[in-house]
Amino acid sequence: MNLQTYILFPSHTDGLALEKVLKSNEIKYTIVPTPRDLSKCCGISIKIDPDQKEKIEGLIQKNPDIKIEGIHTVERKKRNWFV
Amino acid sequence: MADYRDLWKSLNIDLEKHDQLCAVLPEFFGDIYLSQENRPESMNYYNFVVSEIHGYRIKELAEYREKGGKVFGSFCVFVPDEVALAGDAVVVGLCGGSDFWVSDGEKVLPRNMCPLIKASVGAKVGGTCPYFQSVDMLVGETTCDGKKKAWEILEEYTPMHVMDLPQMKREKDKLHWMDEIKIFKEQVEELTGNTITKEKLEKGIKLINQKRKVLQRLYNTRKAENLPISGKDALLITQIAFYDDPNRFIEKTTELCEELEARIEKGESVFKEGTKRILVTGTPMAIPNWKMHHLIETSGGAVVCEETCTGTRYFENLVDENKDTLEGQIRALADRYLGINCACFTPNEGRVDDIIRLYKEYKAEGVIYYSLPFCHTYALEYKKVKEALDKEGIPVMMIESDYSLQDAGQIKTRLEAFFEMLETSKEAAVTK
Repeated sequence: MNLQTYILFPSHTDGLALEKVLKSNEIKYTIVPTPRDLSKCCGISIKIDPDQKEKIEGLIQKNPDIKIEGIHTVERKKRNWFV
Repeated sequence: MADYRDLWKSLNIDLEKHDQLCAVLPEFFGDIYLSQENRPESMNYYNFVVSEIHGYRIKELAEYREKGGKVFGSFCVFVPDEVALAGDAVVVGLCGGSDFWVSDGEKVLPRNMCPLIKASVGAKVGGTCPYFQSVDMLVGETTCDGKKKAWEILEEYTPMHVMDLPQMKREKDKLHWMDEIKIFKEQVEELTGNTITKEKLEKGIKLINQKRKVLQRLYNTRKAENLPISGKDALLITQIAFYDDPNRFIEKTTELCEELEARIEKGESVFKEGTKRILVTGTPMAIPNWKMHHLIETSGGAVVCEETCTGTRYFENLVDENKDTLEGQIRALADRYLGINCACFTPNEGRVDDIIRLYKEYKAEGVIYYSLPFCHTYALEYKKVKEALDKEGIPVMMIESDYSLQDAGQIKTRLEAFFEMLETSKEAAVTK
């Protein structure tokens, strides 16, 4: 199973603030469009390695200014668009 | 998540229809882009821009307009952004790269029309492109008959200014284009209420030159033997250059270039050895038209350069910054812009020279001549290009394709056969 973990934010500024924290802690992350099944509003999320979830939750607790709208781990199925 | 619905409503977006478009993007972008291995970390900025493409930037434009700022929308590399910037205006690219908009376009345009025009007009008349809804004026040009007549339809929906691009490059044509730049300058001054001085135009010229230079730096990294970035990512970056704030774009792309140059030092590649280096030439690819690059790069090829308007034509050659009169600056602009080798010109030998030069500079092994259907100038120019490339022993294959997904399997088969020929017998790939 291809599991992916996404962190959702109330606004892009919170996302960019967390990006800074992840960067300074040398944690790998990817900025991604929020998956449709997690939210209907388009905008950014941060995708992380599911194994890093606890560590990142700890960092979020240490930075109470950064607001998040939840962390979700979902199975990601790849679709072949061009066949 | 940030809720942009109120903002979209204020821009008269058809929310329901727009929602269908938003629903597809995360999955599409994820499968095409985020599935790539070993992507540079600095690509996160471009991921951000795409994720927020109908949000953050639109909000910025709305805030700018609330303060009295004006926004110009343009479609083409011939529209001189420098002039609009000198009037303290913002220039943005417009929607036009998805099949999603084509059906709305076909309501007002004939079906046998290129998908770029159909999609663009459809994006406006269907009210599903927040960029179209955020511009105070569209700036069109006369690069093809389709666009020329489409402006006449679009002006029923939005204020429109059309620049008459000459189709030849004689001195009298240059004078004509200088005149068109002057008329555009007056138009910018009228709309913004700001006078364009020599100093302001100089600032605009310098900024856009800087953007061109950073794109040149990016493209230079693709000349390396070990490719530090995929062609798909490079295409996305050029596409984003049309939309995002130029200062932010320059800063972030500089960061990316530093990362890529470090990769080159280490000999790090995003492709495995033996991947065929391909030069793509032809018609522009607007967001999210990533089809051809995706098919090439999942069939054994790597795109090393684009001789297109969403490629080298956008940023090659700089405007001379050392002119001390407005007249001199306008001539410098005309010199630079008329140096672009678009297929709308006759004759257009310069483009053939560019293709051969770029093929060598980027150490390409084959050329894909990409054309959107019904783009007559590019389709017709294939003959001349092919003859010249045959003479040089450069393998080339023409692929014509629109935004639909149905022909992908067939294109993939052709690409795989072409790459195999490049591997086993390059001579056989050159048909004389």
